[in-house]
Amino acid sequence: MNPSIIGQMAVSGALMGLVYALIAYGFQLTYATSKSINFGQGELVMISAFFSLTLTNLGLPYWAMVPGGLLFGAVMGLVVERAGVRLALEQKSEGWILLTIIIGLFFFSTAENIWGRDDRPFPTPISADPIHIFGVDVTRLELAVAVGVLGIMGLIELFKRRTLLGKAFEAVSADRDAAELMGISATRTVMLSYGLSGAVAALAGILVSPITTVGPTMASAIILKAFSVAVVAGLDSGFGVVLIGMFLGALESLSSFYLGSGWREAPGLILLILALAVRPTGVFGKAVIRKV
Amino acid sequence: MLQVEDLYAGYGASEVLTGTTLSVKKGTLVALIGANGAGKTTTMRAISGGLKPSKGKVVLDGKEVQGLDASRIARLGLAHSPEGRKVFGPLSVEDNLLLGAYSRLPRFFGFHAKAQADLDRVYDLFPKLKERHKQAAGTLSGGEQQMLAIGRALMARPKVMLLDEPSMGLAPVIVQEVFRTIRRLKEEGITLLLVEQFAKSALEVADYAYVMERGRIAVEGTPAELSRNERVIAAYLG
Repeated sequence: MNPSIIGQMAVSGALMGLVYALIAYGFQLTYATSKSINFGQGELVMISAFFSLTLTNLGLPYWAMVPGGLLFGAVMGLVVERAGVRLALEQKSEGWILLTIIIGLFFFSTAENIWGRDDRPFPTPISADPIHIFGVDVTRLELAVAVGVLGIMGLIELFKRRTLLGKAFEAVSADRDAAELMGISATRTVMLSYGLSGAVAALAGILVSPITTVGPTMASAIILKAFSVAVVAGLDSGFGVVLIGMFLGALESLSSFYLGSGWREAPGLILLILALAVRPTGVFGKAVIRKV
Repeated sequence: MLQVEDLYAGYGASEVLTGTTLSVKKGTLVALIGANGAGKTTTMRAISGGLKPSKGKVVLDGKEVQGLDASRIARLGLAHSPEGRKVFGPLSVEDNLLLGAYSRLPRFFGFHAKAQADLDRVYDLFPKLKERHKQAAGTLSGGEQQMLAIGRALMARPKVMLLDEPSMGLAPVIVQEVFRTIRRLKEEGITLLLVEQFAKSALEVADYAYVMERGRIAVEGTPAELSRNERVIAAYLG
């Protein structure tokens, strides 16, 4: 085995893994405030990517398209919250699971009807030429993924720590009823978390599309691995999803290289099963201790 | 300042409150005492909106607030320091206090500067909190968490403050400290509704008191009157 090939595979896999991490981070945002997640998040990634592609085709430059795509993702996140989550949560039911899956299917058929079933290239001004860093070749596209993912996660974490609205977000996550007593509207905070989660999913779509192409099923494999990352890392550690996401990305690129591309999905699923068996709260998750 | 009229509330099909009526005048300290399960905490929750009353009225500063969301009632000037303190464990002491003033502060920047005077006032009242302002609230002792819960409610500059079982689970020395604090709040003219299991201590600080039994007010009066009432003495002061 050639160590430089291993390094090369691991690094580009890890950079792709950051996309899983970003989507998993979106799950964490909504789970924190409402103990619910959007099971149609993959379709949200896909439909936001299509929308961004349309913006590009309309002649919008890349840097104007990105905020437009994020805004679209945020609005779609709010739609999911309003149509699929809020009513179920108000009735303390688990109905949001089914409802979010259904909204995902709705997004899927909408996308098929508007944009068709074919995979399409996603143009980007960022070049795919490799640059040589520390003995491995990394494309600018892959670097853009890393910068985008870590950048937006950093911004959101900064928002949570430095602004009063962000602290209120944390307060609702810690104790929803007590936060209400402070005058913080839990409903609005849950909306905010779904909006952020949608924007984050849209960014994941925009970042990954130039590499994977855009199509109705573009996110179905990605979303499974994002789920794995979220479960393995735990649903409350942003740092954890980055680490586990990069680890899983590297692992799957190595296994598809050495074992054959059919084994690409295996590591994520094995990790998921292991995590559920050994540490259901996630590697970085906090075990919930209930005081009696 | 706060009137509760013929309030009915409960959990699911079981009504806990069956026609509670009480009132708290501006600048007074009113105590609500009674046995466990009489409905004291339920009354507090029904007032602050954590529980929607099925019938009756809650009037805060002349405005009917029953049925509104808890966050809305809080913004209208009611601060509720809940049973079990409910501080935000992962957040720092100072963040907990800042969130107490949430409805008055700008959401993004400059909130700290705007809250400084209130922070100083709370730190002056509870120097321990100043020492630990950066510490996660969940790591404080029970007594310190109670001080934080009271301080957090004060940050709102409330028209009425509800204080539910502030002595619960605390060592006797700390309980005395809590009552010293309550006395000080009263001297500052804060309008307070206090729920307490230590009926004797509560009556010592209160201007007026209600005794609750099975979801409604059984006896009411000034502490002096209640201390002469044989039923009250037998059940709560003996």
